[in-house]
Amino acid sequence: MSISEGVSMKYVKNMLSQSALLAVSIFMVATTSMAAEPWAWKATLDGTGSGRVIDMPTALYIDAERQRYYVVDSGGNRLVSFSKEGNFLLAFTAEEKLQIPYDMIRDNADVIWVVERGRNSLTSINIKAKEILPHIIKDGQKALVPDRLDYKDGIIYVLDKQTGQIALLGSDLTVKNWISCAECPSGIVDFKLTNDGIWALDQLDKKVVQLGADGKLIRQFDIGQKVEFPVSLAIGPAGYVYVLDRHAADIDVFDAQGSFKYTFLTKGWQRGALYYPIEILFDPWGGLCVVEEGNGRVEVFGR
Amino acid sequence: MQSVSSWGGQKIMFNYYRIFFISWLAIVLPIAALADTVCFDCHKKEAFSGKVVHQPLANGQCSACHNPHVAHFKGLLEQEGSALCFSCHAKEQVAFKQGMVHQPVRSGQCLVCHVAHASSREGLLKDPLSAACFGCHTKLPAKFQYTHTPYAQGQCYSCHLPHQSVFGQLLKDEPDKVCLSCHKSQDLQKGHLNYPGTLRDCLSCHNPHGSSRKGIVRDVLHAPFAQGCKECHDKGEIQGSTQSCLRCHEAVATGMFTRHSHLTGKGENKCVSCHSPHAGNEKNLLKGSQLQVCRGCHTDTIARYENKLYRHPKAKEGSCTNCHEVHGSNRIAMLRADGNAICTRCHETQGKFTHPVGEKVVDVRTGLMVTCITCHLPMGSDFKYELIYSGSKDLCIQCHKRY
Repeated sequence: MSISEGVSMKYVKNMLSQSALLAVSIFMVATTSMAAEPWAWKATLDGTGSGRVIDMPTALYIDAERQRYYVVDSGGNRLVSFSKEGNFLLAFTAEEKLQIPYDMIRDNADVIWVVERGRNSLTSINIKAKEILPHIIKDGQKALVPDRLDYKDGIIYVLDKQTGQIALLGSDLTVKNWISCAECPSGIVDFKLTNDGIWALDQLDKKVVQLGADGKLIRQFDIGQKVEFPVSLAIGPAGYVYVLDRHAADIDVFDAQGSFKYTFLTKGWQRGALYYPIEILFDPWGGLCVVEEGNGRVEVFGR
Repeated sequence: MQSVSSWGGQKIMFNYYRIFFISWLAIVLPIAALADTVCFDCHKKEAFSGKVVHQPLANGQCSACHNPHVAHFKGLLEQEGSALCFSCHAKEQVAFKQGMVHQPVRSGQCLVCHVAHASSREGLLKDPLSAACFGCHTKLPAKFQYTHTPYAQGQCYSCHLPHQSVFGQLLKDEPDKVCLSCHKSQDLQKGHLNYPGTLRDCLSCHNPHGSSRKGIVRDVLHAPFAQGCKECHDKGEIQGSTQSCLRCHEAVATGMFTRHSHLTGKGENKCVSCHSPHAGNEKNLLKGSQLQVCRGCHTDTIARYENKLYRHPKAKEGSCTNCHEVHGSNRIAMLRADGNAICTRCHETQGKFTHPVGEKVVDVRTGLMVTCITCHLPMGSDFKYELIYSGSKDLCIQCHKRY
């Protein structure tokens, strides 16, 4: 190797090492600032646009494809839609037929499925066909008490409040399978489907469990030291588990192994504070949505 | 490098400090001892003597708790309540935060049961054990027609722990295990020949304190239980299901189809989370007092409010059902009526003339109707009239920002 080649190689090496150092520095600054960025109020979904308050909302459904939020206005017996920017779009009353709607999903065939507490039904709403059909879901002789809903790959996941187990329904609404959690003696009160299975919350035993798609336990951890009355959970983009505490009116964050990280939000009535929150979920646009039954609104927080 | 002379100088200095320290100890220690024994020049020592004497007192260390000159708290105490006790009893401070905690312990009121200086009883108890318990638990009768022997003998510790427990009602162990710690399993089997399945859940039928029935069977029997077991256990089910209860209790079933319900708890039959299916002390066959039953799940709520300065009398007496539905409700917190109607059942006057409330009055923070519970928190508050914030200013400016 000639001297000039050696010098140029050294120059290239220096450049590379400096670039690498710069890249690492930028990455570290970026990740540090991201990690340190607190959650801040971004939008409120309330009834202002519809001319009527949302009365005791109990659930939020997010349609990523249509870029819409759907708030289940349980006290107002309607479904209220908003744009992803939080602007009011439409209030749907299903011809005034809904009786205490509690949760909803939309399936691949564009049918809306609503849990109606008033008649203990899983009601299908086919808007194109203008058809509203209540269905009492049964497994053998036993009628289910539908609670939380989710949908994936043609399967409707229905949490049965009576047993605290998740029923997997096919398109004919028959129970194809049950997902039960042997480690949750008091049953599941909320669940979220993820790519690697199901995360579920046991309220009375104050426990978070991760189950495989087949229902087998992957991991579990106790949250009782930090959480008073857990009511809902969500899995963040970084894999952290967010647990909504209804009575403390805050959110406790744990890593996937169950180590407590931090608590945020407080009880109150002003914008950004929580009062009797009931559900938490992430939207596909980086927002953390909290359904507040007590304040009649959904608040979206972002970083 | 240090010179020899400087090293020698340090050695002299070291010896000087040693002599000074020993002299200081020789002067200070007797004074310290005197300082404590000097207390008894004025305070009669006999008043601080007994079979059991608190260790600091026995060691003459009055200043472990008291400041002889000036202090923030009554009795010239350095700290108040349990904070003072836990300054030595550190292990207990940790332990007494686990599981179900006895109310005086949770409130930091050690002196409800204990005395600070000397007692004729173990554990520095203020009164004989049963008297200490009955001092607060006034609703418990002194005796029943048929009284459980440990209860009759005032041996509350036979079954209960005084400070905290991981089991309900501060039991020493799981209820059945507590029973079996005295009662032999074989003897029990002989007395329950027709029992379906393995003998268990003793408290479902028996009152562990006493009752007016032989065998301390609880006073009120569930009608199907009085007729036999088959009514509910017809298909070989041990526990039965929620449906097996709702077959008869139809009105309760309707209550379950509401926004919020108590269709929750361990096991397949959710009704038995609160009710005994066999026998109870009152007509609702509750597994304990209202407060005990509610506390089973709502430990956090009861703990949050029980030490508040101002509490609604019904909340204070543990009458949860005065305001809350027990099976299901379409209202938040399972209230029996909306935030106005629930209060005006009793507070009629306030419903007519007060801060405007009702459908036409909007809470500017949320757009929702202003009700009594917009400003009041009957469960408990540190502000007069159970206000959510201070009534002097903070509460009003929540909405009236210009004022």
